[in-house]
Amino acid sequence: VTPDALRARLAALRAAGHELRRRPAREVIEALAAVLERWRDPRSPERIELERELPTAAGFSAPVVREGLARALAPWTGDALRALAARELAREGGIARGHDVTAVLLAGAIPMPTLLSIVAPLALRSPALVKSAERDPITAPLVARSIASVDGALARCIDVVGFRGRDDALVRAFLSADCVVATGSDATIEAVAARMAPHQALVRHGHALSLAVLGPSAGSGAALDEAARGIALDTALWDQQGCLSPISVYAMGDTEAAGRVGNALAHALAEIEGRLPRGGVGPGAAALAAQERAGAELRAAAGQAVSVRTAPDGRWTVVVEPDAAPRPAPLYRFLRVHAVPDREALVRAIAPLSRHLAAVALDGFGAEMGAVAAELQSLGSTRICAPGSLQCPPLDWARDGLRPLASLAKGIQD
Amino acid sequence: VTAGDPARAELGAAVIAWTREADWRRDDARFAELALALFAFQFDHCAPYRRFCEARGRTPANVRRWQEIPAVPTSAFKELALTSFPSERTAHVFRTSGTSALQRGALRLDTLEVYEASLRASFHRHLLPDLAPGSRIVFRVLAPSTRETPDSSLSHMFDTMLREVGAAHSTHWIWGGALDVPRVLRELGADAQADVPVAVCGTAFAFVHLLEELEQRGLRFALPATARVMETGGFKGRSRSVAREELYAWIDDRLGVPAARIVNQYGMTELGSQFYDSVLREPSAARRKLAPPWTRVRILEPAGSEEVAPGEIGRIALLDLANTGSVCALETADLGRRIGDGFEVLGRDADAEQRGCSIAVDALLEDARA
Repeated sequence: VTPDALRARLAALRAAGHELRRRPAREVIEALAAVLERWRDPRSPERIELERELPTAAGFSAPVVREGLARALAPWTGDALRALAARELAREGGIARGHDVTAVLLAGAIPMPTLLSIVAPLALRSPALVKSAERDPITAPLVARSIASVDGALARCIDVVGFRGRDDALVRAFLSADCVVATGSDATIEAVAARMAPHQALVRHGHALSLAVLGPSAGSGAALDEAARGIALDTALWDQQGCLSPISVYAMGDTEAAGRVGNALAHALAEIEGRLPRGGVGPGAAALAAQERAGAELRAAAGQAVSVRTAPDGRWTVVVEPDAAPRPAPLYRFLRVHAVPDREALVRAIAPLSRHLAAVALDGFGAEMGAVAAELQSLGSTRICAPGSLQCPPLDWARDGLRPLASLAKGIQD
Repeated sequence: VTAGDPARAELGAAVIAWTREADWRRDDARFAELALALFAFQFDHCAPYRRFCEARGRTPANVRRWQEIPAVPTSAFKELALTSFPSERTAHVFRTSGTSALQRGALRLDTLEVYEASLRASFHRHLLPDLAPGSRIVFRVLAPSTRETPDSSLSHMFDTMLREVGAAHSTHWIWGGALDVPRVLRELGADAQADVPVAVCGTAFAFVHLLEELEQRGLRFALPATARVMETGGFKGRSRSVAREELYAWIDDRLGVPAARIVNQYGMTELGSQFYDSVLREPSAARRKLAPPWTRVRILEPAGSEEVAPGEIGRIALLDLANTGSVCALETADLGRRIGDGFEVLGRDADAEQRGCSIAVDALLEDARA
């Protein structure tokens, strides 16, 4: 790939876009609905290939990929897309359309954001030039192939490229599209923004985190065990690599309550390791986890009320903290539990994280559930759900507060 | 050595004596003896460390090899005062870099004697190997002086060396948190004309700032062939990151100092000793970091405690006999690999960019504590 070749491919997509926008919007949505149904089918060739190839490419275990896809794709039905399009694209006098061409910069290795990032611009009849994530060169080409299987003309409006992000000339050529959807760290997105002109549109999906909050009625007994199983599932799926992965659990009550939650989580993580084993871990992440475990043990030795529960081989770790102060999140199944005495303390604890807060798994507040959820939403959480459901958001989830289709709209077309 | 405890003073004196030896001979038996004695002292005098060791079943009674001495994570220095002397004897505190809102690591010292003896010996050996005894060198320091940042171990190191071997017109190029551009341009021009040795030393990020200034002005300097550069530190929390090879090519282009005369220093506030690239000392050998004989560097399995094979990537663990006042055995989250008789530092969390959309750890903490 050269910068000139990328510009030529953008030009070809732009031309394909003229054809695409001559088609009725409904026809395009129907084709994409069929694509989603194809992905929901575990027997579809693309799904089979993804389940086979992604573990090797991205380092997840095969059961994690299988379970993660099954759970996340279940609610992404064709009907869900039709409803989403009707809700977000219908305008007085026509239907919303997207930019002439959209560049999609992917990151990470979780397939669902990739699928939606490609489907969304097409739903607005905007062709997409897609740069695969370095860690997942599998999903985007398979999405393109599934579109081709359903609608050959629509497939001409998607082009997947792969190149090293360090090549500035290539990056600048890629970013010359009318609209750029960028996923990555804050630094990556700032670097993208710095290379774009004022007339271009930038849709930002920065790094984010999720949390779990357990109220008094989920603090012991069977309710705690069930909540812990759910949080363990949310943590195990995609090995805590996604913005919907919880990194900390806030337990209402004292340190004893947090200790009970820690025990339940340790039990649940140990149990789920047998069913959904953790995948590979890079040396940097492994070193950070080891450092954080040893640091917690040293803090305990210094008299702090901190305790560590971990698998003998370090495949999961739960650290029960003495306070609610944020600490490093090594990921790869590393959870911290913080005791919070009341709702005010909960808000104070989460407030510093609000800029990056994606979702919260919430349980155990009985009649107060609505009020607590409202507080968490006011702190920036765009999704509140039960433990065990974090990794299967509905298709219309406003990730980063952005509506999945409407955020890509440019104008209206008949 | 003025440390209060006689046993500690004796250990400190032994380390200082070692730093003054010219041949830097590796002596495993001598190292092991001192390391085990220092471990026993720190076990007795640093209560959190003692309990940490006991929880691991390691005490001076059963630790037979220095490799068995429990290492504390460097991150612990952010939260705990790990000292092997009574806190009221604290005479100096070095803090890790970072904004005031961030929790900063701290090394508390009751004496600077061992610390300075170690830094002096390593700096001389690796950055000034060609400096004749009694002669001086022009220092251009891309870091604030200790008058501005008294708790910076880096500023302390530069000022110590500047005081001891710096030419009278040596200067700091960072003042009030900013690069003193007029002074830099004036002195670079003068240094390029003078045929005297000069050492430009500072943080990697400060070099980037300097090079950007020169680039914006379209300026290039050709420092004398005897000039050398020392850079240290990474780009964590900075607005711009530059690969080391790129930085060295840039320095060569704008200052006229080739990569063969650029020395990277690996050090950290929590350590009494530093590790330098071998390029000036052994110009014909492969670039690697060399450990002073009173230190040992081990490259451990990322998640375990065994050493990895030479060339394999692991996390860096250190035992530094110059850390007499705190804990001598440390483990870092930095990745590295062994190269011959030295090692290479690959940086922290080199695979962070490979993660998914879950937030980078440091970014989270920057936000949370800002």
